[in-house]
Parts: sequence; C-alpha cells; structure tokens
Amino acid sequence: MTIGISTYLIYLAVSIALTIWVARTLHKNGRVFLVDVFHGNEALADSVNHLLVVGFYLINFGYVSLALKLGYVVTTAEQSIEALSVKVGLVLLVLGGMHFFNLFLFSRMRRRSTRNQPPVSPDAFTPIAPQEA
Amino acid sequence: MFSLTVLYDPECGLCRRAHDWLAEQAKIVELNFMPCASEEARRRYPQLNHDLTKQDLTLIGDNGAVYFGPKAWLMVLWALTRYRDWSYRLAAPELLPTTKRVVSLISQNRYQISRATGLSR
Repeated sequence: MTIGISTYLIYLAVSIALTIWVARTLHKNGRVFLVDVFHGNEALADSVNHLLVVGFYLINFGYVSLALKLGYVVTTAEQSIEALSVKVGLVLLVLGGMHFFNLFLFSRMRRRSTRNQPPVSPDAFTPIAPQEA
Repeated sequence: MFSLTVLYDPECGLCRRAHDWLAEQAKIVELNFMPCASEEARRRYPQLNHDLTKQDLTLIGDNGAVYFGPKAWLMVLWALTRYRDWSYRLAAPELLPTTKRVVSLISQNRYQISRATGLSR
C-alpha cells in the first residue's frame, strides 16, 4: 500500500468517525429540545430528530467524499501528515458549521413554539355561560 | 386559546375607533366584541364584576381567563398577526411598567381624548 492510499484511508476513517460522533451527540442531546418544542409529543420529536440527523449525515458525507481528492502526489510521511491536517481540519470546520446550524434550527423552533404563549398571565378566571341556541 | 372576547366601552369614541381598526386587522386569535356591562355580557359571564369592566378594557379568553387593563391591551396586540412580536416586547420586564403607565393614562382619559380629537359623537 502506497503512502498516498494510506493517507486517503486515514482521512476517510477519521472523517467518518468524527461525523458519526457529532451526529450521535446531536441526536442524543437535541431530543430534549425537540420534545419541549413539540409540547411533549415524543413521537413527533423523535421523528424530526431522526430526519435532522439523516440530513446531517448526507451533507457531511457528501462533503467528505467531494473533498477526498488531494490533487498532488504524497511521497513522504511528512507530506501525508500535512495533507491530512488540511483535509481533516476542513471536515472539522464543516462539521462545526453544520452543528451550529442545527443548534440554530433547534433554538428557532423553540422560540416559535413559545410564541403561542400569551405575553402576560391572566388576572383571574371566570365561568362562561353556554351560548344560547 | 382560540378566541378572545373584548368587552369595550361603547360610549367612548376612541374605543369605537379602536374597534373599527381592530376589525380590519389580520388576526391569529379570533376577537369577538361585546359592549361592556351589556345584557349579553352579563348573561355570558354571570360571575364577572361588570362594574369593573366599565372602568378599563377587559378581555376574556375562551378558557375563562380574564385580562384587565394594560394586560388586556397586550393580549389584543398578541391576537394580531402584525403585532404579536410587539406584545412580547412591551410585556418584557424592562418595558412593562412604562406600558402599564401609558395604557392606564390613555384608558383613564379616554373621554377627554375622544373629545379633544373629535372622535366622540
């Protein structure tokens, strides 16, 4: 196995592992938010959570795959490490960006849901007589 | 909450003008209007203090929640598509005291304001 191929393989292994880790973190910790957003409807929260993670995987794996090509020949271990640092660094930045975008989505959904709450609490409650037919 | 009943003062020109304006606005929550202390209002809300509703704007939700004075004004804004954001802003702890003061000032002087602006018939 040439040093070029092992560079690619290491890049893929690291990127895939990182993506899975971030997606799982998002999945595990985003659930609480979503349950709150959907007023305790856990089935809906789980469904939306799953759909978000699928999108997250697709975008990240898509980027990892597109960014695979190095464009130059790696001959020494030093060059391999340098190439890896650039590639993995970019994957990390994309992951970070996606992660914050997801957080933004969560918080926006949450804000939307609190807009259904009246701005002030009532002064009292009064019984209502049924309307006459 | 899906609808709010507005108990307004039919004898005040400013309130009638406000009623006309509200009727035209796009709403998130339905607003029904009822003259305060009227037969209809007394029948529908038998345990409400109707003398108090003559003093200031009163809103009653379809769950029986009563909002009086400045809170009622904020709830009216909350019901409107364009002004829901404003209802939260004006109800924020920093602004609420000012909101209450201004709203009370207008409410307590509504007949004078109506007369001064030529809204009273």
